[in-house]
Amino acid sequence: MQVVARGLEAIGRAVGNVVGILYQAGRDTIDQVIRNILPFMAFISMIIGIILYTGIGNIIAHTLSPLASNIFGLLLMSVICAIPILSPLLGPGAVIAQVVGTLLGVEIGLGHIPPQYALPALFAINPQVGCDFIPVGLALGEAEPETTEIGVPAVLMSRLITGPLAVVIAYLASFGMYAGH
Amino acid sequence: MEIAARIAEGFIGMFQKGGTTFVGLVTGIIPLLIVLMTAVNALVRLIGPERIDKVAMISSRNVLLRYLILPFLAVFFLTNPMAYTMGRFLPEKQKPAFYDAAVSFVHPILGLFPHANPGEIFVWAGIAAGITKLGLGLGDLAIRYFLVGLLVIFIRGLVTERITAIMWARRSVSEGQSQGEESTSAAGAPSAVEAGGAALAGGEEA
Repeated sequence: MQVVARGLEAIGRAVGNVVGILYQAGRDTIDQVIRNILPFMAFISMIIGIILYTGIGNIIAHTLSPLASNIFGLLLMSVICAIPILSPLLGPGAVIAQVVGTLLGVEIGLGHIPPQYALPALFAINPQVGCDFIPVGLALGEAEPETTEIGVPAVLMSRLITGPLAVVIAYLASFGMYAGH
Repeated sequence: MEIAARIAEGFIGMFQKGGTTFVGLVTGIIPLLIVLMTAVNALVRLIGPERIDKVAMISSRNVLLRYLILPFLAVFFLTNPMAYTMGRFLPEKQKPAFYDAAVSFVHPILGLFPHANPGEIFVWAGIAAGITKLGLGLGDLAIRYFLVGLLVIFIRGLVTERITAIMWARRSVSEGQSQGEESTSAAGAPSAVEAGGAALAGGEEA
Protein backbone atom coordinates (compact mmCIF):
# COMPACT_ATOMS: atom_id res chain seq x y z
CA MET A 1 0.00 0.00 0.00
CA GLN A 2 2.81 2.34 0.95
CA VAL A 3 4.63 1.56 -2.32
CA VAL A 4 1.51 2.52 -4.30
CA ALA A 5 1.14 5.73 -2.35
CA ARG A 6 4.77 6.63 -2.90
CA GLY A 7 4.43 5.85 -6.61
CA LEU A 8 1.38 8.05 -6.89
CA GLU A 9 3.14 10.84 -5.09
CA ALA A 10 6.13 10.61 -7.45
CA ILE A 11 3.87 10.71 -10.50
CA GLY A 12 1.89 13.59 -9.09
CA ARG A 13 5.02 15.55 -8.39
CA ALA A 14 6.45 14.88 -11.88
CA VAL A 15 3.23 15.89 -13.58
CA GLY A 16 2.95 18.97 -11.42
CA ASN A 17 6.50 19.86 -12.31
CA VAL A 18 5.89 19.54 -16.06
CA VAL A 19 2.63 21.45 -15.89
CA GLY A 20 4.41 24.16 -13.93
CA ILE A 21 7.08 24.42 -16.63
CA LEU A 22 4.49 24.58 -19.40
CA TYR A 23 2.52 27.20 -17.53
CA GLN A 24 5.64 29.26 -16.95
CA ALA A 25 6.51 28.96 -20.64
CA GLY A 26 3.08 30.34 -21.50
CA ARG A 27 3.50 33.15 -19.01
CA ASP A 28 6.91 34.06 -20.48
CA THR A 29 5.44 34.07 -23.96
CA ILE A 30 2.52 36.32 -23.13
CA ASP A 31 4.90 38.59 -21.25
CA GLN A 32 7.11 38.88 -24.35
CA VAL A 33 4.13 39.54 -26.60
CA ILE A 34 2.82 42.32 -24.41
CA ARG A 35 6.16 43.88 -23.57
CA ASN A 36 7.98 43.65 -26.88
CA ILE A 37 5.86 42.53 -29.78
CA LEU A 38 2.60 44.47 -29.44
CA PRO A 39 4.24 47.85 -28.82
CA PHE A 40 6.35 47.41 -31.90
CA MET A 41 3.35 46.34 -33.92
CA ALA A 42 1.53 49.50 -32.85
CA PHE A 43 4.50 51.62 -33.88
CA ILE A 44 4.90 49.81 -37.22
CA SER A 45 1.14 50.00 -37.95
CA MET A 46 1.15 53.73 -37.41
CA ILE A 47 4.09 54.18 -39.79
CA ILE A 48 2.51 51.95 -42.44
CA GLY A 49 -0.81 53.75 -42.10
CA ILE A 50 0.81 57.13 -42.61
CA ILE A 51 2.92 55.89 -45.49
CA LEU A 52 0.07 54.23 -47.35
CA TYR A 53 -2.38 57.07 -46.79
CA THR A 54 -0.27 60.15 -47.41
CA GLY A 55 1.57 59.13 -50.52
CA ILE A 56 4.97 59.05 -48.84
CA GLY A 57 4.78 55.49 -50.13
CA ASN A 58 5.13 56.81 -53.67
CA ILE A 59 8.30 58.68 -52.76
CA ILE A 60 9.71 55.56 -51.17
CA ALA A 61 8.61 53.53 -54.16
CA HIS A 62 10.62 55.84 -56.41
CA THR A 63 13.76 55.98 -54.29
CA LEU A 64 14.03 52.83 -52.19
CA SER A 65 12.43 50.35 -54.58
CA PRO A 66 14.84 50.82 -57.50
CA LEU A 67 17.69 50.53 -55.00
CA ALA A 68 16.26 47.33 -53.52
CA SER A 69 15.36 45.62 -56.78
CA ASN A 70 18.86 45.13 -58.06
CA ILE A 71 21.95 43.58 -56.55
CA PHE A 72 24.11 46.71 -56.82
CA GLY A 73 21.61 48.86 -54.98
CA LEU A 74 21.40 46.26 -52.22
CA LEU A 75 25.20 46.08 -52.06
CA LEU A 76 25.35 49.87 -51.73
CA MET A 77 22.80 49.70 -48.92
CA SER A 78 24.81 47.05 -47.07
CA VAL A 79 28.08 48.97 -47.45
CA ILE A 80 26.49 52.12 -46.04
CA CYS A 81 25.05 50.24 -43.06
CA ALA A 82 28.40 48.53 -42.44
CA ILE A 83 30.52 51.71 -42.26
CA PRO A 84 32.22 51.39 -38.84
CA ILE A 85 31.07 54.85 -37.66
CA LEU A 86 27.48 54.38 -38.81
CA SER A 87 26.95 50.76 -37.86
CA PRO A 88 26.88 51.28 -34.06
CA LEU A 89 24.46 54.20 -34.55
CA LEU A 90 22.12 52.18 -36.78
CA GLY A 91 22.16 49.16 -34.50
CA PRO A 92 20.15 49.90 -31.33
CA GLY A 93 17.09 47.71 -30.96
CA ALA A 94 17.34 46.87 -34.65
CA VAL A 95 14.83 49.71 -35.07
CA ILE A 96 16.32 50.91 -38.35
CA ALA A 97 16.45 47.40 -39.79
CA GLN A 98 12.85 46.78 -38.72
CA VAL A 99 11.51 50.03 -40.15
CA VAL A 100 13.40 49.71 -43.43
CA GLY A 101 12.39 46.04 -43.61
CA THR A 102 8.76 46.99 -43.15
CA LEU A 103 9.01 49.67 -45.84
CA LEU A 104 10.54 47.16 -48.24
CA GLY A 105 7.84 44.65 -47.28
CA VAL A 106 5.16 47.17 -48.21
CA GLU A 107 6.85 47.73 -51.59
CA ILE A 108 7.18 43.98 -52.18
CA GLY A 109 3.48 43.62 -51.39
CA LEU A 110 2.63 46.36 -53.88
CA GLY A 111 4.70 44.63 -56.54
CA HIS A 112 7.35 47.33 -56.85
CA ILE A 113 10.13 44.98 -55.74
CA PRO A 114 10.29 41.43 -57.11
CA PRO A 115 9.74 38.85 -54.32
CA GLN A 116 12.99 36.99 -54.91
CA TYR A 117 14.83 40.13 -53.75
CA ALA A 118 13.38 39.60 -50.28
CA LEU A 119 16.26 37.29 -49.37
CA PRO A 120 19.22 39.55 -50.29
CA ALA A 121 17.25 42.50 -48.88
CA LEU A 122 17.03 40.77 -45.49
CA PHE A 123 20.83 40.85 -45.35
CA ALA A 124 21.26 44.25 -47.01
CA ILE A 125 19.25 46.04 -44.31
CA ASN A 126 21.12 44.35 -41.50
CA PRO A 127 24.94 44.30 -41.73
CA GLN A 128 24.96 46.51 -38.61
CA VAL A 129 23.30 43.87 -36.44
CA GLY A 130 24.65 43.98 -32.92
CA CYS A 131 27.28 46.63 -33.70
CA ASP A 132 25.91 48.82 -30.91
CA PHE A 133 26.09 45.99 -28.43
CA ILE A 134 29.64 44.63 -28.83
CA PRO A 135 31.05 45.71 -25.42
CA VAL A 136 27.96 44.43 -23.58
CA GLY A 137 27.89 41.21 -25.59
CA LEU A 138 31.55 40.58 -24.88
CA ALA A 139 31.04 41.38 -21.20
CA LEU A 140 28.24 38.80 -21.11
CA GLY A 141 30.80 36.35 -22.46
CA GLU A 142 33.08 37.32 -19.55
CA ALA A 143 35.70 38.85 -21.84
CA GLU A 144 38.65 40.80 -20.43
CA PRO A 145 38.67 44.60 -21.00
CA GLU A 146 41.59 44.16 -23.42
CA THR A 147 39.53 41.74 -25.49
CA THR A 148 36.77 44.33 -25.71
CA GLU A 149 39.25 47.00 -26.79
CA ILE A 150 40.36 44.84 -29.70
CA GLY A 151 37.04 43.10 -30.26
CA VAL A 152 34.98 46.24 -30.92
CA PRO A 153 37.04 47.51 -33.88
CA ALA A 154 37.64 43.93 -35.08
CA VAL A 155 33.91 43.21 -35.39
CA LEU A 156 33.18 46.62 -36.95
CA MET A 157 35.98 46.10 -39.46
CA SER A 158 34.85 42.57 -40.23
CA ARG A 159 31.36 43.77 -41.08
CA LEU A 160 32.72 45.90 -43.92
CA ILE A 161 33.79 42.64 -45.57
CA THR A 162 31.10 40.24 -44.43
CA GLY A 163 28.14 42.65 -44.78
CA PRO A 164 28.29 43.00 -48.58
CA LEU A 165 29.49 39.39 -48.87
CA ALA A 166 26.32 38.22 -47.11
CA VAL A 167 24.22 40.12 -49.65
CA VAL A 168 26.05 38.42 -52.53
CA ILE A 169 25.58 34.98 -50.95
CA ALA A 170 21.90 35.68 -50.30
CA TYR A 171 21.49 36.93 -53.87
CA LEU A 172 22.98 33.72 -55.25
CA ALA A 173 20.83 31.68 -52.86
CA SER A 174 17.68 33.49 -53.99
CA PHE A 175 17.76 32.03 -57.50
CA GLY A 176 14.70 29.91 -58.12
CA MET A 177 12.76 31.33 -55.20
CA TYR A 178 9.21 32.33 -56.12
CA ALA A 179 10.24 31.74 -59.74
CA GLY A 180 6.68 31.20 -60.96
CA HIS A 181 5.57 34.56 -59.75
CA MET B 1 -16.75 73.97 -42.92
CA GLU B 2 -16.71 71.32 -45.60
CA ILE B 3 -12.98 71.66 -46.00
CA ALA B 4 -12.47 71.27 -42.28
CA ALA B 5 -14.61 68.14 -42.32
CA ARG B 6 -12.59 66.74 -45.17
CA ILE B 7 -9.33 67.42 -43.36
CA ALA B 8 -10.70 65.70 -40.30
CA GLU B 9 -11.74 62.71 -42.39
CA GLY B 10 -8.31 62.53 -43.95
CA PHE B 11 -6.68 62.75 -40.56
CA ILE B 12 -8.79 59.94 -39.14
CA GLY B 13 -8.48 57.94 -42.35
CA MET B 14 -4.73 57.83 -41.99
CA PHE B 15 -5.05 56.18 -38.59
CA GLN B 16 -7.87 53.93 -39.72
CA LYS B 17 -5.47 52.57 -42.31
CA GLY B 18 -2.92 52.04 -39.55
CA GLY B 19 -5.57 50.36 -37.41
CA THR B 20 -6.43 47.94 -40.20
CA THR B 21 -2.75 47.13 -40.55
CA PHE B 22 -2.50 46.58 -36.80
CA VAL B 23 -5.41 44.14 -36.75
CA GLY B 24 -3.87 42.32 -39.69
CA LEU B 25 -0.57 41.98 -37.86
CA VAL B 26 -2.16 40.90 -34.59
CA THR B 27 -4.43 38.25 -36.12
CA GLY B 28 -1.89 37.18 -38.73
CA ILE B 29 1.27 36.88 -36.69
CA ILE B 30 0.48 36.71 -32.96
CA PRO B 31 -1.60 33.48 -32.64
CA LEU B 32 1.02 31.26 -34.28
CA LEU B 33 3.79 33.14 -32.50
CA ILE B 34 2.26 32.60 -29.06
CA VAL B 35 1.76 28.87 -29.48
CA LEU B 36 5.16 28.33 -31.08
CA MET B 37 6.97 30.43 -28.48
CA THR B 38 5.22 28.61 -25.64
CA ALA B 39 6.26 25.24 -27.06
CA VAL B 40 9.89 26.23 -27.52
CA ASN B 41 10.08 28.04 -24.18
CA ALA B 42 8.79 24.86 -22.52
CA LEU B 43 11.32 22.74 -24.39
CA VAL B 44 14.17 25.01 -23.33
CA ARG B 45 13.04 24.85 -19.70
CA LEU B 46 12.67 21.06 -19.79
CA ILE B 47 16.16 20.61 -21.20
CA GLY B 48 17.64 23.03 -18.70
CA PRO B 49 20.63 25.37 -18.90
CA GLU B 50 23.10 22.90 -17.33
CA ARG B 51 22.86 20.51 -20.28
CA ILE B 52 23.21 23.37 -22.77
CA ASP B 53 26.38 24.45 -20.97
CA LYS B 54 27.83 20.96 -21.34
CA VAL B 55 27.18 20.92 -25.10
CA ALA B 56 28.63 24.42 -25.37
CA MET B 57 31.87 23.35 -23.71
CA ILE B 58 32.29 20.54 -26.22
CA SER B 59 31.33 22.81 -29.13
CA SER B 60 34.06 25.32 -28.37
CA ARG B 61 36.86 23.04 -29.47
CA ASN B 62 36.37 22.90 -33.21
CA VAL B 63 36.05 25.79 -35.66
CA LEU B 64 32.98 24.37 -37.39
CA LEU B 65 31.21 23.79 -34.09
CA ARG B 66 32.38 27.12 -32.67
CA TYR B 67 30.99 29.46 -35.33
CA LEU B 68 28.13 27.31 -36.62
CA ILE B 69 26.66 24.97 -34.02
CA LEU B 70 27.45 26.91 -30.86
CA PRO B 71 25.93 30.23 -32.05
CA PHE B 72 22.83 28.38 -33.23
CA LEU B 73 22.43 26.52 -29.94
CA ALA B 74 23.12 29.67 -27.97
CA VAL B 75 20.56 31.75 -29.85
CA PHE B 76 17.98 28.95 -29.92
CA PHE B 77 18.17 28.01 -26.25
CA LEU B 78 19.29 31.17 -24.50
CA THR B 79 17.81 33.70 -26.97
CA ASN B 80 18.90 37.32 -27.45
CA PRO B 81 20.71 38.72 -25.42
CA MET B 82 21.65 35.86 -23.05
CA ALA B 83 23.07 33.88 -25.99
CA TYR B 84 26.31 35.86 -25.76
CA THR B 85 27.07 34.42 -22.32
CA MET B 86 28.14 31.24 -24.15
CA GLY B 87 31.28 33.15 -25.08
CA ARG B 88 32.63 32.39 -21.61
CA PHE B 89 33.60 28.88 -22.72
CA LEU B 90 35.97 30.26 -25.36
CA PRO B 91 39.52 31.61 -25.15
CA GLU B 92 39.78 35.42 -25.13
CA LYS B 93 40.98 35.68 -28.73
CA GLN B 94 37.89 33.91 -30.04
CA LYS B 95 35.28 35.81 -28.04
CA PRO B 96 34.81 38.72 -30.50
CA ALA B 97 34.39 36.26 -33.38
CA PHE B 98 31.87 34.21 -31.42
CA TYR B 99 29.93 37.32 -30.48
CA ASP B 100 29.90 38.38 -34.13
CA ALA B 101 28.61 34.97 -35.22
CA ALA B 102 25.99 34.72 -32.48
CA VAL B 103 24.61 38.24 -32.84
CA SER B 104 24.39 37.84 -36.60
CA PHE B 105 22.12 34.86 -36.13
CA VAL B 106 19.45 36.52 -33.98
CA HIS B 107 17.50 37.54 -37.10
CA PRO B 108 17.96 34.69 -39.61
CA ILE B 109 16.53 32.35 -36.96
CA LEU B 110 13.30 34.36 -36.73
CA GLY B 111 11.61 32.85 -39.78
CA LEU B 112 11.61 29.40 -38.20
CA PHE B 113 12.00 30.07 -34.46
CA PRO B 114 10.61 33.50 -33.57
CA HIS B 115 10.94 32.81 -29.83
CA ALA B 116 14.67 33.54 -30.07
CA ASN B 117 14.26 37.29 -30.57
CA PRO B 118 10.60 38.34 -30.50
CA GLY B 119 11.41 41.97 -29.75
CA GLU B 120 13.07 42.38 -33.14
CA ILE B 121 10.74 40.19 -35.18
CA PHE B 122 10.01 42.88 -37.75
CA VAL B 123 13.47 42.59 -39.28
CA TRP B 124 12.00 39.37 -40.65
CA ALA B 125 8.25 39.96 -40.43
CA GLY B 126 8.36 43.34 -42.16
CA ILE B 127 9.71 41.90 -45.39
CA ALA B 128 7.80 38.64 -44.94
CA ALA B 129 4.53 40.62 -44.78
CA GLY B 130 5.12 41.71 -48.37
CA ILE B 131 5.54 38.11 -49.51
CA THR B 132 2.34 37.11 -47.68
CA LYS B 133 0.51 39.97 -49.33
CA LEU B 134 1.46 38.59 -52.74
CA GLY B 135 -0.17 35.32 -51.73
CA LEU B 136 3.13 33.43 -51.65
CA GLY B 137 4.22 30.95 -48.98
CA LEU B 138 6.80 32.00 -46.40
CA GLY B 139 8.42 28.57 -46.00
CA ASP B 140 10.82 28.95 -48.90
CA LEU B 141 12.04 32.36 -47.76
CA ALA B 142 12.26 31.30 -44.10
CA ILE B 143 14.37 28.22 -44.74
CA ARG B 144 16.67 30.05 -47.17
CA TYR B 145 17.11 32.92 -44.71
CA PHE B 146 18.00 30.37 -42.03
CA LEU B 147 20.52 28.46 -44.17
CA VAL B 148 22.17 31.54 -45.67
CA GLY B 149 22.28 32.95 -42.14
CA LEU B 150 24.21 29.90 -40.95
CA LEU B 151 26.70 30.24 -43.80
CA VAL B 152 27.10 33.97 -43.13
CA ILE B 153 27.71 33.58 -39.39
CA PHE B 154 30.33 30.92 -40.10
CA ILE B 155 32.13 33.26 -42.51
CA ARG B 156 31.78 36.14 -40.01
CA GLY B 157 33.30 33.96 -37.30
CA LEU B 158 36.30 33.10 -39.47
CA VAL B 159 36.87 36.66 -40.74
CA THR B 160 36.51 38.28 -37.33
CA GLU B 161 38.76 35.68 -35.71
CA ARG B 162 41.43 36.47 -38.30
CA ILE B 163 41.08 40.26 -37.89
CA THR B 164 41.18 39.91 -34.10
CA ALA B 165 44.35 37.84 -34.37
CA ILE B 166 46.03 40.45 -36.61
CA MET B 167 45.06 43.32 -34.30
CA TRP B 168 46.15 41.36 -31.26
CA ALA B 169 49.58 40.79 -32.79
CA ARG B 170 49.95 44.48 -33.76
CA ARG B 171 48.88 45.57 -30.33
CA SER B 172 51.44 43.41 -28.52
CA VAL B 173 54.14 44.84 -30.79
CA SER B 174 53.12 48.46 -30.17
CA GLU B 175 52.66 47.76 -26.48
CA GLY B 176 56.27 46.60 -26.26
CA GLN B 177 57.39 49.92 -27.78
CA SER B 178 55.34 52.31 -25.66
CA GLN B 179 54.34 50.46 -22.56
CA GLY B 180 54.41 53.41 -20.18
CA GLU B 181 52.17 55.54 -22.33
CA GLU B 182 49.57 52.80 -22.74
CA SER B 183 49.23 51.82 -19.13
CA THR B 184 49.12 55.30 -17.60
CA SER B 185 46.29 56.84 -19.59
CA ALA B 186 43.03 54.98 -19.94
CA ALA B 187 41.88 57.46 -22.58
CA GLY B 188 44.98 56.77 -24.63
CA ALA B 189 44.24 53.07 -25.03
CA PRO B 190 41.13 53.24 -27.24
CA SER B 191 42.71 55.78 -29.56
CA ALA B 192 45.71 53.50 -29.94
CA VAL B 193 43.36 50.69 -30.90
CA GLU B 194 41.59 52.91 -33.37
CA ALA B 195 44.87 53.84 -34.96
CA GLY B 196 45.65 50.14 -35.21
CA GLY B 197 42.27 49.57 -36.85
CA ALA B 198 42.87 52.32 -39.38
CA ALA B 199 46.27 50.89 -40.18
CA LEU B 200 44.67 47.48 -40.62
CA ALA B 201 42.04 48.83 -43.01
CA GLY B 202 44.75 50.53 -45.03
CA GLY B 203 46.78 47.33 -45.10
CA GLU B 204 43.86 45.35 -46.41
CA GLU B 205 43.21 47.74 -49.23
CA ALA B 206 46.81 47.46 -50.29
